[in-house]
Amino acid sequence: MKSKKLISVMIALCMLLSLGITGITATAFAADDPIVIGVISPNTGTLAAYGTGIVTGVQLAAEEINAAGGILGRQVELVITDDQGDPTECLNAFNSLVAKGVTLIIGSATSGCTSAITDAANEEEVCILCPTGTADSLTTEDDYIFRACYADSFQGAIAAAYAKQAGFEKVGVVYCAADVYSKGLFDSFSKACEEYGIEVAASQSTASLDVQDYTNQFAAMVSAGVDFVYAPYYYDVIGPYVVPQARAAGYTGIIMGADGYDTTPDYVVAGADLTVFNDVYWTNHYDPGADSEIVRSFVAAYEAAYGSIPSAFGATGYDCLYIYKAAMEAAGSADAGDVRDALADTSTVYECVTGTFSLDESGTPVKGAAIISFQSDGSAVTSTLVDVVTQLP
Amino acid sequence: MNTFFQTLIVGLRLGSIYALVALGYTMVYGIIRLINFAHGDFIMVGGYTMIFVMPLMLRLGLPAWLGVLAAIVVCALVGMGTELIAYRPVRRKGTNMTALITAIAMSLFLENLAQAIPAIGPNPKVSSQIFGNGGFKLGTVTMEYTTVITLVISGIVMLVLYAFTQRTRLGRAMRCVSEDKAAATLMGINVNSTILLTFGIGSGLAAIAALMYMAQYPKVYTTMGALLGLKAFVSAVLGGIGIIPGAMLGGIVIGLVESFTTSYISSSMADTFVFLILIVVLIIKPAGILGKNVGEKV
Repeated sequence: MKSKKLISVMIALCMLLSLGITGITATAFAADDPIVIGVISPNTGTLAAYGTGIVTGVQLAAEEINAAGGILGRQVELVITDDQGDPTECLNAFNSLVAKGVTLIIGSATSGCTSAITDAANEEEVCILCPTGTADSLTTEDDYIFRACYADSFQGAIAAAYAKQAGFEKVGVVYCAADVYSKGLFDSFSKACEEYGIEVAASQSTASLDVQDYTNQFAAMVSAGVDFVYAPYYYDVIGPYVVPQARAAGYTGIIMGADGYDTTPDYVVAGADLTVFNDVYWTNHYDPGADSEIVRSFVAAYEAAYGSIPSAFGATGYDCLYIYKAAMEAAGSADAGDVRDALADTSTVYECVTGTFSLDESGTPVKGAAIISFQSDGSAVTSTLVDVVTQLP
Repeated sequence: MNTFFQTLIVGLRLGSIYALVALGYTMVYGIIRLINFAHGDFIMVGGYTMIFVMPLMLRLGLPAWLGVLAAIVVCALVGMGTELIAYRPVRRKGTNMTALITAIAMSLFLENLAQAIPAIGPNPKVSSQIFGNGGFKLGTVTMEYTTVITLVISGIVMLVLYAFTQRTRLGRAMRCVSEDKAAATLMGINVNSTILLTFGIGSGLAAIAALMYMAQYPKVYTTMGALLGLKAFVSAVLGGIGIIPGAMLGGIVIGLVESFTTSYISSSMADTFVFLILIVVLIIKPAGILGKNVGEKV
């Protein structure tokens, strides 16, 4: 009996000791360990161009930061995960990062995916810095969710402001009723139209992002007699389906889109009539041809590393890591709680590729948008900057 | 009136593609009473084959659509391979239900296998222009040549298939196998090779369907066969599964319902109405529009 008790006491002591030792080692070495940042993005699937953009942008920033001595003297280590553009996979990716002890995350590309992890992130007290999720509902006050892009209430309103400025009195909308992003932009665009006294004369929707025929929707725009249609979709349907079908349905007016139009020129049909892409406009996070030192050096570094002009996803991904860096340096710590508090400080000004801005109470940047147009002489589709809007009229 | 014509044309365009795909479903079902859920994915296989072959065709100065010949060969091989590797061993050991589950497994297998191949990968690809632009005017609405070609090809394929099953020895062997496998064996028909041939032809049809699909909707991705296959399957059931003209009729009906719902009822309710119509028709006429009510044989 006695020996048994002795053994159990000794085992208990051993356990306590081992606990103590691991505890000590963890704190003792923390200062030299790399800072681990998780990245969640759609690296495969129909929206893979977004994920590739974000990952390359973040990697470029990490290389620069590490070469310059890291953050708070610690190197940055990235853990890249893939959500395939699917909200369920996004939550899986998030859980795998949390299981690895990652508490600072950049992601995901779309509002649909990001909205799947916001609740879990608040519960786990993990910081999320979203590069391009524009839905208004993503960020709220007193939470762990921040972003590096404007919100849809602003993006939709810019499109409406542009319509007003160009003198359109009635407009139409074609959107996807089942997608957070498309529906959110439809809501904010129609609300802004009401404010500016523009009539939304026709509104047509599609049931999913898998729909392949948009002819009837644009035929309805033609019969409503509108010459300005807001169509917030993603590049994988804009290039092959929406624009060519709209023109085939007899619609000749302006098609206005949002940041989802980025990389569309890579998804047009070779040999088809590309002049249909004339009079297509869209709002974007930044203009790669902007005449500022920070944009020039970013574009040059990106081109040197990957051989192509960075998309807005590359730019916001790059910005995300630098925003984290600034927040960690302000907090003097890489702890998720401290970083959250630093990001929640609305007075901090971040100088980024996609603009110089501070975050508002909800954690959304206060910044402008670039309006870009597509042009084609029939051989290729190119983009040109039309205007940069910093404030709504 | 313009809206009506436009809607009609979109309906025919969608319907002609559903009809072509549905022919493949109905043919395999007619012979071995198996709903080949992987048929939609054979279309994906055909689509990717053409994505890779078309640039070669164009470089040789040949029209892009000739790529369909390569796609027919690849699809027929994949279809027959599927029958040999998956369906036949399962059919020998299990029941019709096991074969059905195998078909679903095969569908998922093909989708994921395609993703794993580096040259294909999970990212969508866009094809080159297949047929010329343009069409003729119907009122103020343009009827594209591609739509007309698709309708004509669906019609021809249907007639040829019908004649093949009715008039040729091989076609008669197929119908024989479909009615009674044991009796067919006694009559000296090689049941297994007849079924293999059915898969070859059915999968070859998938390549033609893929060509017509890409001519109108030029985006190719690994899961493209999923919803397309489902709607084509619904078309086949609606027209009367196992009946060749039924697949054609069902496809056109589904396409028209989808298009007219979009234009006249609600643009986001198209799929809801497609499946609602299916349920209503099946309640009124369980064997499908052209189906005859005969006792279940299997």
